[in-house]
Amino acid sequence: MTGTLSDTVCVHVPPLERSSEVVRMATTAMATQAGLNLDQADDLNTAIDELFRLSISDHNKQHTFCVRYEVHPDRLEVVAEGIKANLGDESSKVGRYRRFIIEKVADRFEESSNPEGGFDILLVKFLTH
Amino acid sequence: MSRDEINSLFRTYKDNKDPAVKNVLVGAYMDLVHSLARRFINRGEPLDDLVQVASMGLLKAIDRFDPDRNVQFTTYAVPTIVGELRRYFRDRSSAIRLPRGLRERSHMLNTAIQRFSQEKGRSPKVSEIAEITGISEEEVIEGLEGAEATTIASLDTTTETGDLSLLDVIGGEDKTLKLLDERLSLAGAMSSLDAREQNLLYLRFIEGLSQTEIADRLEISQMHVSRLLRRTLLSLRQSLTASSREPFIS
Repeated sequence: MTGTLSDTVCVHVPPLERSSEVVRMATTAMATQAGLNLDQADDLNTAIDELFRLSISDHNKQHTFCVRYEVHPDRLEVVAEGIKANLGDESSKVGRYRRFIIEKVADRFEESSNPEGGFDILLVKFLTH
Repeated sequence: MSRDEINSLFRTYKDNKDPAVKNVLVGAYMDLVHSLARRFINRGEPLDDLVQVASMGLLKAIDRFDPDRNVQFTTYAVPTIVGELRRYFRDRSSAIRLPRGLRERSHMLNTAIQRFSQEKGRSPKVSEIAEITGISEEEVIEGLEGAEATTIASLDTTTETGDLSLLDVIGGEDKTLKLLDERLSLAGAMSSLDAREQNLLYLRFIEGLSQTEIADRLEISQMHVSRLLRRTLLSLRQSLTASSREPFIS
């Protein structure tokens, strides 16, 4: 993605159910900083919550859930780092459901390998004026 | 039943504690129970549950009422029943209790968001809500997310313009289930959801309406739509997770 980076914030939380509210609060705060409206902020929260659930699920339990927020002049980029499971896995119902939800709520969605293992999942939400 | 007949029944009940007399008294005041329960309908609990709680309050009031004090039963019963309902919300409806100030702020934000959305036809930014309400952006976020964390929205709650419940307004048609199921290829997982929950997902994810647009259509607040969607997605995810060991059928 191109554009001038104005702010980056990383959040690391333990993979516990109660951490989801911390992530949600951080996401809303960063969405605010980026200038997204409440609908857009909630869309991002929905997508990130799906990724968080994936990271704390029994099969893919991670040591920490890491999410990086990058505020750009025209968008907010959110990267969930080192997710153990591949979102492209279409063989499970949960996987298809999760991918469907994320694709619907994010303006852009990319998945790439993380050099340290797992996958980085990028979500982008553009500002609307 | 006349006031004298009621007083007579209370005197009889006071003397013999006859369950049959108590049943008659309960029947005589069930309208009051329903009326008081409905006052709490917008707090996210099903009406049936509220009526049950209010009925417990009525039973307590009947047991404790002294007809010789020359006070109308309703004068005594209303605070007892309302107290029972308030205790229910205090003790059970939320694992996290919001401080009063935060609850009031959440209510104020809800009103501001609704008014803004109606006037501008779009969802507000946090900065815009902060400007309207005169509080900081941090306080707005705290108010929004604090309320989200402690509120479980219910499809049984009434719309904000009438007595219809969301269940009635959202409606339910089999085609919705079919469309979503086909779109997601979830092999029947959608059937675990209530027809109205499926419709909510349909509006958001198939029709592509924003939360503000859904709120407008259903005559509820955007915050309420947000909570309902969260709850519905959680239900769907749980259902899918529970059945994830089943073989996939394409």
